[in-house]
Amino acid sequence: MQEMQQLEHAINTIRVRFGSQALTRAAELPPPQPWPSHTPLDRLTGIAGLPRGRLALLTGSGTCGKLTLALGLLAAATREFAHAVVIDPRGDFDPWALLPFDPELSSLTVVRLDRDSSGEAATALARAGAGFILLMGEVPEQWLGPMEAGANRSGSVMVGVVDAPGRAFAHASSLSLGFTRTDWVWERGQLVGLRTIARCLKNRVAPPLGESELEIRYPIGPQLPFVRPVIEVPIEKAESQCVSAAV
Amino acid sequence: MRVCCGLTNHLELAKRPDLYGGPVVVGAGGGGESPIDKSEHVIAASEEALPFGVTPGMPLRQAEHLCPQATFIAPDPIAAARLRELISIALYDLAPVVEVRVEGIAWLDVSGVVKPGESIREARRRLRAAIGREPRLGLAPGPFSARVAAARARPGRLVQVEDARTFLAPLASRELPLDEEQLERLDLLGLRTLGAVAAIGPRELESQLGREGRRAVLLARGAEPNELIPWRPPQFTSAHRQFEPPVEDREALLFVSRALCDDLAAELGLRGAGAKRVRVRLVYESDEPDERLSTVRHPLSSAAELFGLIGGWVKEWQPRAPITELWIELPVLEAAGRRQLRLWSGNDGTSEEVIAAFERLQERHGDDVVRRPRPSLLSSPLPTQRFDWVS
Repeated sequence: MQEMQQLEHAINTIRVRFGSQALTRAAELPPPQPWPSHTPLDRLTGIAGLPRGRLALLTGSGTCGKLTLALGLLAAATREFAHAVVIDPRGDFDPWALLPFDPELSSLTVVRLDRDSSGEAATALARAGAGFILLMGEVPEQWLGPMEAGANRSGSVMVGVVDAPGRAFAHASSLSLGFTRTDWVWERGQLVGLRTIARCLKNRVAPPLGESELEIRYPIGPQLPFVRPVIEVPIEKAESQCVSAAV
Repeated sequence: MRVCCGLTNHLELAKRPDLYGGPVVVGAGGGGESPIDKSEHVIAASEEALPFGVTPGMPLRQAEHLCPQATFIAPDPIAAARLRELISIALYDLAPVVEVRVEGIAWLDVSGVVKPGESIREARRRLRAAIGREPRLGLAPGPFSARVAAARARPGRLVQVEDARTFLAPLASRELPLDEEQLERLDLLGLRTLGAVAAIGPRELESQLGREGRRAVLLARGAEPNELIPWRPPQFTSAHRQFEPPVEDREALLFVSRALCDDLAAELGLRGAGAKRVRVRLVYESDEPDERLSTVRHPLSSAAELFGLIGGWVKEWQPRAPITELWIELPVLEAAGRRQLRLWSGNDGTSEEVIAAFERLQERHGDDVVRRPRPSLLSSPLPTQRFDWVS
């Protein structure tokens, strides 16, 4: 309770000193337009879809399901957008892994550049208005600002997949979902998927909406939905605690 | 010029599909319990009445004498005209020029249509849905030859004519759109086939029959002037819904107005039009109707645009009594083509800009940095063989 009072006092002090617009509650910000991905992630974002014009991050250690989810999102984007782009600095993206999600390959373009130049590509494509951009690695810090501004102007959906984002990359994202694998799913002695906890680590587009336990099935042929929620846990009173600074 | 003609029943007959199968005669003054005015003439006769010798134009008294078992019905020009409008609307998006006549003739000028076969198939399907019977179809260089060809087709089939003059030459000159006296004159002149009519000069026949004679020669030669009168949709449209029982619930009104906006937007999209003026009318059970009218700056053409305006009105409206009817009228329409409908259907920015961005990246870093996968040998165990990468 005392912490809340101190926080309110700090907010009031900043507003008196720098003006009423210096600090805005996330709940009061106009939410960005959502792109419905038709996965349980939509509920975690709080705006019923991934935010357009913002960077969303899927993070977590290896084999937590983030890449499977990202591929599912990419396949949906290829069906919906004229241009879905994968920026692949490591050069290990294989479209074969995308096939079980029934993608529209004519809309897919893969850009393979080293890490330093990938920021330039992401910025140029975000400015041009590519519908969906999947970042398979981090973007250098100096490109994050222009990339965010370009996406914001054009409304591109940007999704980054990284194990552990650096400070700058995490700061540039508007939505960050962390994944932690809890269990494997076996059927008849065969590994068919995994259970993972998806937690909303950062949300600048809506009040954070807690966490969700997901069961992710490795797609064997076009069987959708490949992901379904098991348990969803909302964070209580999250709205009042989420404050975003806007100067 | 390539014209497709669909021949159906006279629209006076088509509005009574319940009488299909038996001889039906449409004549002025008849119908219902009122006695038939025998001084009037036959307007249309069904195919079943034709073998008895009943033909359009003959006196009704004679038709009754020839085919007493026929059902005689009175014409309803308003209903037939409405049916003509409905058929015209149905065919409007299949060809640039569409003309429908109450005689049961529908012409589509398919010149320049990318896939005329698909248009003709769809026209057949829509005519069958509207009339309830398979149309006869003809495809020829002009409206006259197309109609003559269609008359020789079996129901649901197409007769295609490449050389109109050769096709028309052996046919009787009675096929020409001339009155009885002119046809008799042709007979006296010995011009009993269209080939014979085509062989003489237009001026010679003009001196005998007047302007119709000149036109008859051109038609017989297959050198038809384009005489189709394109149907144009009326520059006014509306949609309405009646409520039984009357409603007071605003949510219900919003729901219905959204559905009406969807219908109107679909129609506007078909016409490539937008609404410049919007009027909403609420009809009350026991009071004068309420009305709201607005002229918009940019024409509204999508359901979201229409509902954005109308939904706002409905939300703030304070109905005085239970509502029995909701009308949405678009009294002034204008072309909305300049707005490039569905430009953003790709759901992202202009494709040219994205492609230009790819090209700039290729210029700076080489062609191989931007590549598109094309499936090649997907079942190959070697990843490099599964896709061809196109720069």
